Amino acid sequence: MCTEKCPKKVVDTYNEGLRKRKAIYVEYEQAVPLKYAIDPTQCIKMIKDKCGNCEKVCPTGAIVYDQKEKTTKLNVGSVVLSPGFKPFDPSIFDTYQYSKFKNVITSTEMERILSASGPTGGHLVRPSDNEEPKKIAWFQCIGSREINRCDNSHCSSVCCMYATKEAVMAKEHNGPELDTAIFYMDMRTPGKDFEAYYEDAKENKGVRYVKSRVHTIDPITGTDDLEVRYANENGEIVKEQFDMIVLSVGLEIPPETVEFAGKLGVELTDNNFAKTSVFNPVKTSRDGIFVCGSFQGPKDIPESVIDASAAATAAGEILTESRNTNVKIAEVITEINVDNERPRIGVFVCSCGTNIAGVVDVKAVAEYCETLPYVEFVTNNMFSCSQDTQEKIAETIREKNLNRVVVAACTPKTHEGLFKETLLAAGLNKYLFEMANIRNHNSWVHKETPELATEKAKDTIRMSIAKVALFQPLKEAELQVNQTALVLGGGLSGMTTAKSLATQGYETHIIEKSDKLGGQAHNLLKTVQGEDVREKVAELSSAIDSDDKITVHLNSEITDVEGFVGNFETTISGDNKIEHGIAVMATGASPYKPEEYCYGQDDRIITALDLDRKFMDNDAALKDMTSAAFIQCVGSREKDRPYCSRVCCTHSVDNAIELKKLKPEMNVYIIYRDIRTYGERELLYKEARELGVIFIRYDRDNKPSVEVKDGEVIVNVTDHVLGRPLEIRVDLLTLATAIIPNRDEKIAQFFKLPVNDSGFYVERHAKLGPSEFATDGVFLCGLAHYPKPIDESITHAQAATSRAVTLLARESIHTNGEIAVTSPQNCSSCGICVSVCPYSAPSFTTAKGPNLGRAEINPVLCKGCGLCVASCRSGAINHNGFDTGQIYAQLVNVKEAV
Amino acid sequence: MADFEPKIVSFLCNWCSYGAADLAGVGRAQYPANVRVVRIPCTGRMSPKFFLAALREGADAVWVSG
Amino acid sequence: MSKDVIGSVMVVGGGIAGMQSALDLADSGYYVYLVEKNASIGGVMAKLDKTFPTNDCAM
Repeated sequence: MCTEKCPKKVVDTYNEGLRKRKAIYVEYEQAVPLKYAIDPTQCIKMIKDKCGNCEKVCPTGAIVYDQKEKTTKLNVGSVVLSPGFKPFDPSIFDTYQYSKFKNVITSTEMERILSASGPTGGHLVRPSDNEEPKKIAWFQCIGSREINRCDNSHCSSVCCMYATKEAVMAKEHNGPELDTAIFYMDMRTPGKDFEAYYEDAKENKGVRYVKSRVHTIDPITGTDDLEVRYANENGEIVKEQFDMIVLSVGLEIPPETVEFAGKLGVELTDNNFAKTSVFNPVKTSRDGIFVCGSFQGPKDIPESVIDASAAATAAGEILTESRNTNVKIAEVITEINVDNERPRIGVFVCSCGTNIAGVVDVKAVAEYCETLPYVEFVTNNMFSCSQDTQEKIAETIREKNLNRVVVAACTPKTHEGLFKETLLAAGLNKYLFEMANIRNHNSWVHKETPELATEKAKDTIRMSIAKVALFQPLKEAELQVNQTALVLGGGLSGMTTAKSLATQGYETHIIEKSDKLGGQAHNLLKTVQGEDVREKVAELSSAIDSDDKITVHLNSEITDVEGFVGNFETTISGDNKIEHGIAVMATGASPYKPEEYCYGQDDRIITALDLDRKFMDNDAALKDMTSAAFIQCVGSREKDRPYCSRVCCTHSVDNAIELKKLKPEMNVYIIYRDIRTYGERELLYKEARELGVIFIRYDRDNKPSVEVKDGEVIVNVTDHVLGRPLEIRVDLLTLATAIIPNRDEKIAQFFKLPVNDSGFYVERHAKLGPSEFATDGVFLCGLAHYPKPIDESITHAQAATSRAVTLLARESIHTNGEIAVTSPQNCSSCGICVSVCPYSAPSFTTAKGPNLGRAEINPVLCKGCGLCVASCRSGAINHNGFDTGQIYAQLVNVKEAV
Repeated sequence: MADFEPKIVSFLCNWCSYGAADLAGVGRAQYPANVRVVRIPCTGRMSPKFFLAALREGADAVWVSG
Repeated sequence: MSKDVIGSVMVVGGGIAGMQSALDLADSGYYVYLVEKNASIGGVMAKLDKTFPTNDCAM
């Protein structure tokens, strides 16, 4: 109501200024907290002491104008910085005319235009005339990889992918005939499943990719269209018209963050990101202050989520001794026994402000509910989810002696948990509760037919009441979590995880296949920041050896796994059994052994790791060379291996710089497809070019060829600038080979872990669960997830640790009560439930007695899907919370409606 | 038949379709009010008995989505 | 010594990284202060339409 009556219109920053909001507002429908706020810089009352409309109309008296900024002093053990980035503001570029032409927009504005909750309701129209565009262009690297007019020499890492996504989405909105063109310098899609997405956009979705940097945009007089001029691959100047241009703006750190960092004494890089080191990737220059997200370096969502968990590990490690000293413990209330009581149901009908009451006649619905069987109490609330209403509901339950509750409001998907807590607070078993969805499934979708919506609300609540009347209190199985961890793989990731778990007080076992710890890190010379890798690995190994909480099992493999989250029992070689509560998969990857480019035919044709070895051994022959070449994407980005190995571009660029430093007059060539030095690795690419490393581009259909002839190694490649074939005689040819996961079907089966076509493990959620599996209690890090450099492996290892600690720290876990339960006396031992269950929860009991050989269901493994219940031919399985009788009760109560 | 409005009982999987119906609300998609929703934990829970019961109780159509 | 270590953490910024970090810390037994300058948490991710490479809704 307040927002409706507010007379002041303000630019809506959430929608990138594409529409207006009021001075009293919520940022967006799903905002958390979903509370109205007053913008003090815009409110007429607060600036001029006039208006005051919102105070007059607010039914709950929630408006306070004189709320002042308060300074609160907090004493904390550590600090995590995640202040985020600011999209680059392209107004400074006169070439792109962002401020002048309405149809030149930024990619963040494009996100809002494509969004269903955006200013155009998800209709893709251009700003000047609200017409659907026929041709859209994206310009990459706006405010990235450039130092002439902006100071951002870094690559922003995410723009190639988001532009591709926006183009794909735009085509989905406006049909395949929409022309989408992306103008780029290098296509950088090195993340997990990114390359396949890019290939699909290019090959199947018809997104055009033009390798060129556009230099001019001109208006076309009489229209709002725009003409762009660019040089195509053959060097010819091309003119093309577009209806709309999207500037793919980069990520930069806003000045207020720079200032804040200065106050904290946190050092920054040249591009204003927090300075960190490869082996401590989330630790800032100041002790006790950690960093995550895009302030650590430009990155996408899963990497930010990984960072975030890693920072939590780092922040927690130093506070381990004070764990659980500062937390608030929720009061436990004894549960009231409701056995054999007649149902006394309380119904709470929510208005949700005007969200429900604006369409559904909530008063009539409430009156109707009073007439229904077993209903003891009915009321209507303005906002059922508000703190004070929660307290009122709990009070009512106690006062009226209610033993079942129905809340008719929004969706159980978001609010069931909250109301269940309220039941607990009132001493009721939390499963004596049902929600009737009269907002998302009703008032919001039947705005035009309020009478029908009111009828539907009555039906929905009647069905819920019938169901809740049949509910019984449910018990949750409580399960102790074994406080020991098992880490599979003793490479850098596994070692980091184990060390961190031990530091936080947990016994840890490392299972390593080979005869020593360290994995692939032994083969690497130095990090991008120049740190000696072997030195660090040795340090970490000895720290692990001297840590009495860590047991290392070398030359060992897993032969069997039993149990489940909290209580695994793993057998390893030598019949050793280890009991553990969680497991971390850090099984790593190996280099691809090339069959192409004459590998193996000549000592001078080597892999990237061989070159590292030569550097480590101070091979004198390196200094005598006059010419060296690198070929990129050997085994990567191929039809049968459709992913980018992520690290090879930086690795080759780094080694090329080493060679140039060793002998500046050496000719060094890098033969590449796209140089993918993402983030601040871009600075290395720049340095290499400045040192005179020659970059020659090829594409997948026109690869270089290598021959060994008359004692010479010759690389044949077509130069992309001259368009002419080149013949390069080299003293050393380094092949940048792919990273291949150490695929082990047995382990995947033991822990029920999914593996993708390329052999990498599939995490719980590509964006939000990158360090754990869908299988509870099993976590993931390092190269087994996807190729990544050392710093990202360490971050991932710390993230997996954090996710594992959240489970270990709880010490015991509760399972869901809404699961299937067998009645053994009805079981005919047919075995259908055992065979259909995807979670192996049912089994035949082996305990002697009358039920021997009949099915029982492990409540810990059951996910409550109901497959066995529907399949049981003897009716011997009941489903708590969704029992057959309860669903029947709902259906019987449909009758009045139909 | 022109005025015929079927009464539909829909069984929606808690993890996908039920959430999708929630999102339809968030996006304010408008559709006729003659659907009654029964939330089920998974379409695996769906039993032929529920189809028959819904039809017996007067539904013209049953829709299972998951 | 142990009395000097405070079992709480301040997280500055309530975007996706800040939220995840705060959740992990709270679940690990530390009291967390999550500080955000805007009226709601969510940061830039809440402004995005879909996310690559799965085309999931960003909300």
